[in-house]
Amino acid sequence: MNKKAFGNKLVASPYIVWSAIFIVVPLIIMVYFSLTDQNGAFTLANISDIGKYKKAFGISILYAAVATLITLVLAYPMAYFMTKLNISSQRMLFMIVMIPMWMNFLIRTYSWITILANTGLINTFLSKLGLGPLRLINTPGAVILGMVYDFIPYMILPLYSVMSKLDKSLLEAAEDLGSDAFTKFRRVLFPLSKPGMISGITMVFVPSVSTFYISQKLGGNKTMLIGDTIEYFFNLGPTYYNIASAISLVLMVMILVCLFIMNRCGGNDEDGGVLM
Amino acid sequence: MKLLSRLYIALIILFLYAPVAVMIVFSFNSSSSVWVMGGFSTRWYEGLVKNTVMLSALEHTLIIALLSAIISTVLGTAAAVGITAIRNRIAKKAVMSVTQIPMMNADIVTGISLMLLFIFFGKLIGLDESLGFATVLIAHITFNLPYVILSVIPRLRQTDAHLSEAAMDLGCTPVKAFFKVILPSISTGIVTGFIMAFTLSLDDFVISYFTCGHYQTLPIVIYNMTKKSVTPDTYALSTLIFITVFVLLILYNILQTKSEKKRTEIRRV
Amino acid sequence: MEKENIVELKNISVAFDGEQVLDGLNLDIVDGEFITLLGPSGCGKTTTLRLIAGFLEPDTGDVLFEGKKINGVPAYKRQVNTIFQRYALFPHLNVYENIAFGLRVKKRPESEIKEKVAEMLKLVNLTGLEKRHTDTLSGGQQQRVAIARAIANHPKVLLLDEPLAALDLKLRKDMQKELKKIQQQLGITFIFVTHDQEEALTMSDRVVVMDSGRIQQVGTPQDIYNEPRNAFVADFIGESNIVDGKMLKDYYVEFSGQKFDCLDKGFAAGESVDVVVRPEDVDIVEPEKGMLKGVVTSVAFLGVHYEIIVDIGGFKWMIQTTDEHFAGDSVGLYIEPDAIHIMKKSEYSGLYGDYSSYSEEIDHLSDAEEEEP
Repeated sequence: MNKKAFGNKLVASPYIVWSAIFIVVPLIIMVYFSLTDQNGAFTLANISDIGKYKKAFGISILYAAVATLITLVLAYPMAYFMTKLNISSQRMLFMIVMIPMWMNFLIRTYSWITILANTGLINTFLSKLGLGPLRLINTPGAVILGMVYDFIPYMILPLYSVMSKLDKSLLEAAEDLGSDAFTKFRRVLFPLSKPGMISGITMVFVPSVSTFYISQKLGGNKTMLIGDTIEYFFNLGPTYYNIASAISLVLMVMILVCLFIMNRCGGNDEDGGVLM
Repeated sequence: MKLLSRLYIALIILFLYAPVAVMIVFSFNSSSSVWVMGGFSTRWYEGLVKNTVMLSALEHTLIIALLSAIISTVLGTAAAVGITAIRNRIAKKAVMSVTQIPMMNADIVTGISLMLLFIFFGKLIGLDESLGFATVLIAHITFNLPYVILSVIPRLRQTDAHLSEAAMDLGCTPVKAFFKVILPSISTGIVTGFIMAFTLSLDDFVISYFTCGHYQTLPIVIYNMTKKSVTPDTYALSTLIFITVFVLLILYNILQTKSEKKRTEIRRV
Repeated sequence: MEKENIVELKNISVAFDGEQVLDGLNLDIVDGEFITLLGPSGCGKTTTLRLIAGFLEPDTGDVLFEGKKINGVPAYKRQVNTIFQRYALFPHLNVYENIAFGLRVKKRPESEIKEKVAEMLKLVNLTGLEKRHTDTLSGGQQQRVAIARAIANHPKVLLLDEPLAALDLKLRKDMQKELKKIQQQLGITFIFVTHDQEEALTMSDRVVVMDSGRIQQVGTPQDIYNEPRNAFVADFIGESNIVDGKMLKDYYVEFSGQKFDCLDKGFAAGESVDVVVRPEDVDIVEPEKGMLKGVVTSVAFLGVHYEIIVDIGGFKWMIQTTDEHFAGDSVGLYIEPDAIHIMKKSEYSGLYGDYSSYSEEIDHLSDAEEEEP
């Protein structure tokens, strides 16, 4: 029997038109810009120039991957411990984790300069102890820290929502069948929290790999990430829109390939894919 | 073990809130440095009132957030209803895949592609400066839509299909049945979608950056300021925003707990 | 050969948030028996099971396994396995891997796992479903996977936490027989938790009736039914009329204003007691021939017999009879001495065994029926 749906599919048509114009067409135009020069003549030069930026691509992927891994390692126990609390504390913590997301991320990132700078809070404190100063700001570590900090809520929340829906008796069943704490984690908790991990990894990796603000503020101008490269060309003016599109296009394809591979490895359905 | 997990949670919270605390503390700094604490002062809060650039940016941000949230909620709710009514599996899958593109894509790619679209069509109709209020609004609606749709669709799925049949059986027209029966039962999804759209729009920097032209929103102004050096008035404004959000969320939480309690009490009676 | 105790619970108390869930519980469980913990929800039966499984530690008291204290031994080191209320099958694993779970954790060789799983599947009649995902199975099949998964580990004791509660009536009856068969085949101890008295009586070697965190009575199903120790047990197990009585001397009791011969002794002369008479043990006779006289107030036809309510001096008795009577008839009741069972007064005296509110009780029962999801 077919489940009856209410309403008419026609009410979706304004949206379908909208998404065609503002989602699909822009991507087509981006492809068009990538494959033309500034006069509109067809060229492959933009694409073949991508090789020049392989260092930026490499660093971006490396930093984003490290940041995502650290985020996962930090967020996983947090989400798990949250599920162990009573319901009202759980809800409170959920809010506490979410609130920083409502803050402007530029300011949140910028505050780290106050903490990490050569004359910042940590170094002031260290010098009072007669130590330091440590070089904290303008290092790859600071950039990665910024990524972890800005995006960790996006990892905690999906992990938490998957874990909190998990039937507690599954963990008991695993223990009952002889699993110690580690085996319980490896054979039951980990595989069952995969959907949450996949959406968490996606939501941390994608903005990390494409960021251009964090690297400028916390990394100094030494580290050109791929986002910085795109922004740089964008600011140079219309002449450089073609190369900027080509880099964006490659970035997009690369991210899609990463996501595709990850979803395959996860081998799971779309459950838990939504943040809230 | 319990102690250890509490400690861990506390450390993560400390990590999450350390920069926020720094920001709040330095917004009360009497000197204009965001490095060295001079003394306590509220001069940056007083100065905010006179900072016309920042205030007009705040106004722009609120206008864009409100408008884009309203439009995307209406458009997105209609879309969700329509999409659930699509029977053809391939068509449905195609629509859903397109819907997910702005969520999956990096903001910078979405921003650049929209910018190119606006410039491309601007040239076609002979505009020199095509970026501005309209383009930011369109961009915000576009990236808000998927979040609205994806928070309404699950609610629609949970809604009993017989509800609207029952309403029509009792004399409602299909349209009336939708507004009287279906809409109330998916209202939580719509509200969630609206709140998400509003806050995403409020906070967006990257996509606005590429599509705003001279119509500067608050994140853009802040970005331009941090390019030079930040003065504590930015911190003061952010502190005000933070406290507003904090209070609203706590209130929302309290109200929700109360209504839930009421509901369980009613159930018990 | 005298069987040994496999599990002993010594003076166990457990409280949750200041609420006493188990209160000084003592219980010996004999190796190889099928023992059932029976009681209403909240009586502490599941808590008892979780203590044995190792998911919970007692506040005071000891849990002994084969004579050794196992307090503090984590669940994964205990030689007991559990069948959970809603089965707790791993959703990310198929039937084969679910059953193989315990063996894999113990790092058994692949060939042994294969052999063992095949054996288990055969035992629970699921051969051929190895590759199926657990969410594609029916409730009964899931139940069988849960059984196979638990016993693949060769536990010495199997704990079953209301395993049949989610099944419909017909399937439940079949599984009762099957579980009993599996228990006899394997010869391991089954500790079964249920709130269904009929299930407890048909399956068990011994039944432990619990209420308010205390054991009310332990015995064979026959003992429990025929010789209930107090009004709670008498009422919880089957139907019973419980009236106030006075022991006049050994083998002689007075209740409902009449004196009766009975088979009980050992009470003080003149001691107040509770008297239990099962509805099926009362004969209805002509009013003048009856030991007690009363008026029929309601009649319900149940197929095998009638259940009629008779008002005797304001106390309503339930009587099961195969003869038809009508509301308003005057009848006499005849009770054989061996149908009368005398119990000491307890905290439960006066709470149960009167059928004045009988129709409400039926409503209440039909409310409790499981709803299909």
